[in-house]
Amino acid sequence: MTSSSLITRKQELPLKDDATGLFLKVMVSIAVFLFAVTLAGVLSINSMLTNWNNSILGSLTVQIMPVNNINQEKAREETLSHQEKVLEFLKKLPQVESATALSDNQLQMLLQPWLGDGINIKELPTPRLIDVRIKKNAEIDFPKLAEQLAEVSLLASLDNHKLWLNKLIRFADGLKMLAMSILILVVAITSGAIFYTTQTNLGLHRNIIEILHVMGAKDTYVAQQYAHRDFWIGFVGGIIGLCFAIPTIFMIAGLAEQIEGGIISDARLSFVSWFLICCLPLFSAFISMITAYYTVKRTLEKMM
Amino acid sequence: MLRDSIIAAPAVVEMKGVGIRYDQGPEILSDINLSLKKGSFHFLTGKSGAGKTSLLSLMYLAQRPSRGALGVFGQNVNFANRDALAVLRRRIGVVFQDFRLIEHLSAFDNVALPLRVCGMSEKEIKKRVKELLSWVELDKHMFEKTSTLSGGEKQRIAIARAVINRPDILLADEPTGNVDNDIARKLMKLFIELNKLGTTVLIATHSDKLITDFPYPRLHLINGGLRVFQPFEGIVKGVGI
Repeated sequence: MTSSSLITRKQELPLKDDATGLFLKVMVSIAVFLFAVTLAGVLSINSMLTNWNNSILGSLTVQIMPVNNINQEKAREETLSHQEKVLEFLKKLPQVESATALSDNQLQMLLQPWLGDGINIKELPTPRLIDVRIKKNAEIDFPKLAEQLAEVSLLASLDNHKLWLNKLIRFADGLKMLAMSILILVVAITSGAIFYTTQTNLGLHRNIIEILHVMGAKDTYVAQQYAHRDFWIGFVGGIIGLCFAIPTIFMIAGLAEQIEGGIISDARLSFVSWFLICCLPLFSAFISMITAYYTVKRTLEKMM
Repeated sequence: MLRDSIIAAPAVVEMKGVGIRYDQGPEILSDINLSLKKGSFHFLTGKSGAGKTSLLSLMYLAQRPSRGALGVFGQNVNFANRDALAVLRRRIGVVFQDFRLIEHLSAFDNVALPLRVCGMSEKEIKKRVKELLSWVELDKHMFEKTSTLSGGEKQRIAIARAVINRPDILLADEPTGNVDNDIARKLMKLFIELNKLGTTVLIATHSDKLITDFPYPRLHLINGGLRVFQPFEGIVKGVGI
């Protein structure tokens, strides 16, 4: 059955000025607001997970521990010499696209959130970091690479980000499941509200429905009038809900960007995500229409 | 001669051993055996509470019999599904005692209802409804809500709604109860014209004048059963008792 056959322009039932209409509109607005914000959350988490996964697959970090020496200048030179050896080794690997040692400035910026502005990186025994970009589709045997690095320099260690990112991914997956449950719950509650208000409404207009039946109207004829009314309630309610949801999503995104470390700011909504969110009024209209249509059909079969 | 041709015609409504009761109450109608032939014209009489409205409601398929078999247009109603019943109802015109108009709609929309339900084009609906409302002298009130009209006007709208679709059966419950004699005579003339065109007509009435002015047989309900009286005659044939 196509959606166009579920609705009709004929309106013998006085549904337009019905009090339940306003209730349903408010209900759908709230539902769409919650749905849109939660959906934005799910889509953001998805984009964040994709970014994190890409970062796992496409990069790794090599850490060179600082040489222990009372003479800071000498210790620093030795550490940098280890860094050079490791860099040379990494650049020769066929799977490696690029290997770049982080400069003093970059290291200082990484430490700034913890140690503040007034530090001089040259005076501290800080580890040196090498950012390694791996070629697309290249396969790396991480344990073997770690062994090879140890042969080049005993101070070098490998971090492929997997350990801490896996924990974050598991946490994000959990959040995603929670959000999906909320989405299902919102749809179920809205459908339930439409179901019960439609049933009540059918009782209120029983006399008119009886007249329509006597004139030869099928249950479908009555159901189409409710479907038509609830389609517009779902659509208008959806638009209202969306109008409140979009600024809220921007506000949450703004707050997330203020978090240091760039973890949350990876959660950006793509064009497709925004398109999906903007389609929500159509989705709510469709759900309202289908629920009303089948509620009327089912109730009339029992009622008359 | 006319009587013979009616008897030979196929039945549009057929009841065999029909009984009706509401919930667990006593039977309102019991063992009704009846055959309304195509093109026949009957009055339906009986005291208040005799079951006239219940019998009519069986005929316009608002309910199924508690027992017995009911056939309408040759189809067994006992086993017909909801959609099939709806299609059968489109061939039946009904005038209710309390009019049962949709109050928030205009006279035009009320009369147009059976045509819209059938899916007729708005152009054809407009033409037919205007013509009929003009015939029942309500063209001036065409776009007024029926809640603002008088009892007599409402009754004429109810009758117009019942006949607009040129039904195969017309069932009318006290159709002339709220109109003056001139209008009553005009409405009866409409029913007779429809009957001549082949519509089976059954009119429930308390009016002795109507029964004596128009010589048609009558079905009389008494003690839950049904008897058939010929015009100006006593009981000629017992049915169902």
